[in-house]
Amino acid sequence: MSEDRLHIVSSAVVLVRPGEAEAVARALAGLPLTEVAASAGNKIVVVLEGASRGEVGARLTTIALMDGVVGANMVFEHAESDGEDPG
Amino acid sequence: MTIDITRRAILKAQAAGIAAAAAGIALPAQAQPVPGGVGTLDITWSKAPCRFCGTGCGVMVGVREGRVVATHGDMQAEVNRGLNCVKGYFLSKIMYGADRLTTPLMRKRGGVFDKDGDFEPVSWDEAFDLMAEKAKAVLEEKGPTALGMFGSGQWTIFEGYAATKLMRAGFRSNNLDPNARHCMASAAFAFMRTFGMDEPMGCYDDFEHADAFVLWGSNMAEMHPILWTRLADRRLGHEHVRVAVLSTFTHRSMDLADVPIVFKPGTDLAILNYVANHIIRTGRVDEDFVSKHAVFMKGAVDIGYGLRPEHELEVRASGAADAARMEPADFEAFKTLVSDYTLEKVSQLSGVEPDFLEELAELYADPSKKVMSLWTMGFNQHVRGVWANHMLYNLHLLTGKIAEPGNSPFSLTGQPSACGTAREVGTFAHRLPADLVVTNPEHREHAEEIWKLPHGLLPDKPGYHAVEQDRMLKDGKLNWYWIQVNNNLQAAPNSDHETWAGYRNPDNFIVVSDAYPTVTALAADLILPAAMWVEKEGAYGNAERRTHVWHQLVDAGGEARSDLWQMMEFSRRFTTDEVWPEEILARSPDHRGRTLFDVLFANGTVDRFPLSDLDPDYANQESRHFGFYVQKGLFEEYAAFGRGHGHDLADYDRYHEVRGLRWPVVDGKETLWRYREGFDPYVKPGEGVRFYGRPDGRAVILAVPYEPPAESPDEEFDFWLVTGRVLEHWHSGSMTMRVPELYRAFPGAQVFMNADDARRRGLNQGAEVRVISRRGEIRTRLETRGRNRMPRGVVFVPWFDASQLINKVTLDATDPISKQTDFKKCAVRIEAV
Repeated sequence: MSEDRLHIVSSAVVLVRPGEAEAVARALAGLPLTEVAASAGNKIVVVLEGASRGEVGARLTTIALMDGVVGANMVFEHAESDGEDPG
Repeated sequence: MTIDITRRAILKAQAAGIAAAAAGIALPAQAQPVPGGVGTLDITWSKAPCRFCGTGCGVMVGVREGRVVATHGDMQAEVNRGLNCVKGYFLSKIMYGADRLTTPLMRKRGGVFDKDGDFEPVSWDEAFDLMAEKAKAVLEEKGPTALGMFGSGQWTIFEGYAATKLMRAGFRSNNLDPNARHCMASAAFAFMRTFGMDEPMGCYDDFEHADAFVLWGSNMAEMHPILWTRLADRRLGHEHVRVAVLSTFTHRSMDLADVPIVFKPGTDLAILNYVANHIIRTGRVDEDFVSKHAVFMKGAVDIGYGLRPEHELEVRASGAADAARMEPADFEAFKTLVSDYTLEKVSQLSGVEPDFLEELAELYADPSKKVMSLWTMGFNQHVRGVWANHMLYNLHLLTGKIAEPGNSPFSLTGQPSACGTAREVGTFAHRLPADLVVTNPEHREHAEEIWKLPHGLLPDKPGYHAVEQDRMLKDGKLNWYWIQVNNNLQAAPNSDHETWAGYRNPDNFIVVSDAYPTVTALAADLILPAAMWVEKEGAYGNAERRTHVWHQLVDAGGEARSDLWQMMEFSRRFTTDEVWPEEILARSPDHRGRTLFDVLFANGTVDRFPLSDLDPDYANQESRHFGFYVQKGLFEEYAAFGRGHGHDLADYDRYHEVRGLRWPVVDGKETLWRYREGFDPYVKPGEGVRFYGRPDGRAVILAVPYEPPAESPDEEFDFWLVTGRVLEHWHSGSMTMRVPELYRAFPGAQVFMNADDARRRGLNQGAEVRVISRRGEIRTRLETRGRNRMPRGVVFVPWFDASQLINKVTLDATDPISKQTDFKKCAVRIEAV
């Protein structure tokens, strides 16, 4: 059964190693549909968007394993139908 | 996309605001509540614990039109405070893999059961008829010791409890063991030997109080990501905090380590004794604490490796016959034993720089540092795993750093309910609920009282443990076997020679209950489709003693039914006349001619809560089917074992209201730290600390030496093989490999090898290779650059991949005390294909 076509808006907290915040923020900004919303100390708040939960989750997995990242955990998720028929 | 731009901006701001709040970061703009949104999608949200690891995060599960469509972290859950790790995020997908089992499947040829036939769909009736017929034949011919069950740390508490009643009181067999034998047995045995009671004395709150964290054989960054986040928060937010990580190779948790230690496999034992030696030599024993709260013992040595008795290593092991023996000793004897473990000697043996060893030792010795020790499979899946756990407790006991905030030897758990179900309910081959044991006549009598069963009914000898079950299946001594919620053909060691041979032995009848056609299910004679997670009302107990209950939120598809339903329904097929001995029935004529369902589940206790007690907002398939509130009845009967005995559980209904409670729950209050006055209601004023699991109230400090692993590399097999896990996949991958995104992220196992080692053997990155041992081999691809950086002479292979069964290669050597397999140390060679 195919997943609904949705617009997902989600956010995650990325914990980084000391001194790596800038480099990680740059790498995050390079990912598709990913924005750095805030950064303080060793934490970066990212907003992730995607057409499916799977797509967003896969990006979180990538982030969790990036160099300089200690951990990446999802906090918020909001899903809306984008008005198109499910694919 | 067609979403309105302004709305999108508002949603992003809201997302950012909530995450920032969770991260403790102030954002200039306030997030506005968004009208419509989730509500317009008609999603109903309910709480549940995560289906995956022993962390036991709280999640909110979103259901729409009878399906789980979303999950995210529960803000109200203390464990994870709204955070959701990668695997937890994919929970909504694990029930909807394309090959989900929906009907019982029986091997048939020509329309009748045939072990060599192909699988055909059958009805539940036909499935149970055959199972009952086979069970009765085996009981008739060989008795209860030929019947067995292999259960799970992923069973709900009710399922483990039903299983222990069915096997022990129904069929009178103690051949019930859980897959937690493969992961937590060493920890459980060490708890019992050290403290007289199972389970950690601390809790996750220790993360926010410790000054030092020491990880022993644990890759928390990938395996317990939420707890790792809490640890990292503490470390990164407080300059003085130190993190030490010890492993046999460099993994992602080392990225945060101030003291990263890679040691030669097996030498962790020597390092532990070195630290004890350091504490004593530098005068940092807390003598007051030790004199009041500890007692010294020494353990039997040369205890063998749990191999088959005729194996030369077992024949040679002088202490194997009484491996668990502990004898009284004193401080001087302990001091003498550990004095051998000098810095120079241990540095030599382990390959670890002396400076790192000293830094590690100081974390324990320095009285001003609160230390939280954390460990999982590196310690437990170890031929001296019970010793390793105990030697770690030695350090915390010598220094008095125990049972208070931040001072915490914390045994981490892998499965969601290895604690709550496998251990606390007592689904091990020697256990009864609440730490009672089958070998103790008073314990058996107590169980018979609570269960309203005739005295003398329960069998008194421990049954076959996991590895022994495989051996007995192969040898034809165990002939009827029911496997639930595990994938043992993929998980068990030396699987070709023992496990596979056992399942396909023509004398044996194998039933597997699962949600998916795993390799284990496909090796069975009969497959039963199981409901999973929120398709049933359930309860789990996580690593910090938190019992967490959830409602059924959706229906299982097709004919799939919960393991609980399966066991209870199956019990109807037997009468006491058929399975209990005449002398028992003669003494208790009231029990004659009743079905096992009657005596185990409709016994006036389990069936005493009516359907009107159910929450009308939620389904409950089992209760509707059987006509009473099954889960509540089982729970309340089970709770009678522990209440008043240090295992107190709250009233069942309360657990539906909260995000779990840490036992003992006394007068409605959870216990965060056990054994310490002021925190634990069982410790009386003035006692300070009391390890009340032991009659003298003292914990045991155990003197035991370093002993080498069972099989070390040699000229023919020149590498150490370590098996383990990766972030993306949970255990055998039966759930996560069916989530497309997790599958794509890590589609197949690899062998991680040191780049120099590869070069010397003329092997290139990505090359196809064979990993070969004395027992078997697999083909896989070489990885020299990945997340695990291996030292010379050590390779790592994760076991999530059903197409690369690494356990064909591993050795069935166990800790002789806990019977837990050592999956971290055997000898292999690597060849190009």
